[in-house]
Amino acid sequence: MFVIVVGCGKIGYQLSRALLAADHEVVILERDSHRAARAAEELGSVIISSDGTEPTVLTEAGASRCQLLIATTGQDATNLVACQVAKRSFRVPQTIAVVTDPDHVALFKQLGVDVTISTTELILSHIEEEMPGGPLVHLLPIQGAASGIVCVRVPAGSPAIGRSLAVMGLPVGTSLAAVVAKNGEIKSIGPDLLLEQDDEVVAITPPDKETLLWRALTGGA
Amino acid sequence: MPRNVMILGCGRVGAMVAKALAAEGDDVIVIDRDADNFRRLAEAPNLRMIVADGTSSEELRRCGIEGVDAFISLTAQDTVNALAAQMAQLSFGVASVVCRINDPIRRAMYDELGLRTVSPPQVMTDLVLEALGS
Repeated sequence: MFVIVVGCGKIGYQLSRALLAADHEVVILERDSHRAARAAEELGSVIISSDGTEPTVLTEAGASRCQLLIATTGQDATNLVACQVAKRSFRVPQTIAVVTDPDHVALFKQLGVDVTISTTELILSHIEEEMPGGPLVHLLPIQGAASGIVCVRVPAGSPAIGRSLAVMGLPVGTSLAAVVAKNGEIKSIGPDLLLEQDDEVVAITPPDKETLLWRALTGGA
Repeated sequence: MPRNVMILGCGRVGAMVAKALAAEGDDVIVIDRDADNFRRLAEAPNLRMIVADGTSSEELRRCGIEGVDAFISLTAQDTVNALAAQMAQLSFGVASVVCRINDPIRRAMYDELGLRTVSPPQVMTDLVLEALGS
């Protein structure tokens, strides 16, 4: 695949290296000439030291035959404009923008960016996963629905331990999708299901029921 | 009737537009990331200056974007202007949005996308040609 990567900071550099290693054709656009020169020593002559939001630069980079543009700079505004120009002026079929402000995820989608990756949200969800006490981790929003898929680890001392699903009673509107025990065994969902400590519970819930669901599974306040 | 206008960017252009609108009696909020840039403006009862990042919807909300009739992005960076203006239009539903885009090709694209754009290089070129009498 022919991929244009805008921005050769940490994300852009590592990404380009991986794409090149997988035999993709890659052109990197990096405005900062020092950074571009440094990366060129490692990656070879795949870097153009220019502004990837400029239509003339994208023309030079061959954007009209590019299949995927990934904008990885630290500036959300730059990443948005690079994707919009690629999409509108060069008909690039797939665009991906990295964003740092989670509020921009929905906006960028509305503005035609195919995929937005929020670094802040990614880091937050990883931190949440590592924290003790069974926090609620957002796995995936369900497209077109108000609900999302979340995951909660049942902590020690949770009132849900040892009680069957029928007895425990989940908030109305929520539903369990899967329960994975600590040893990796997948438990079958049914009224007789008994939850144990360290079970990973994957559930579907609307946002306003998250707290109730989390309390039911962890006993937290 | 005085309008509520928010201007992003207090460079030369932003400051002049802010002064002109305030002189006409509009209520003007000027936003810039750098407080130093407000030296271009004089205090006036209908002119507020706020240090904020115009690419953040949270900060725009804090500055009161939800109550404005018009939003004008006039920073020196096309990318910042494009993001802020589209946010004002789509996320906040501001009735009148004007956006400075220097690059002519990008400008044509944003015109097509429904933004009202102004391009200083284009304006300058037109004026110079006119002054030459061509």
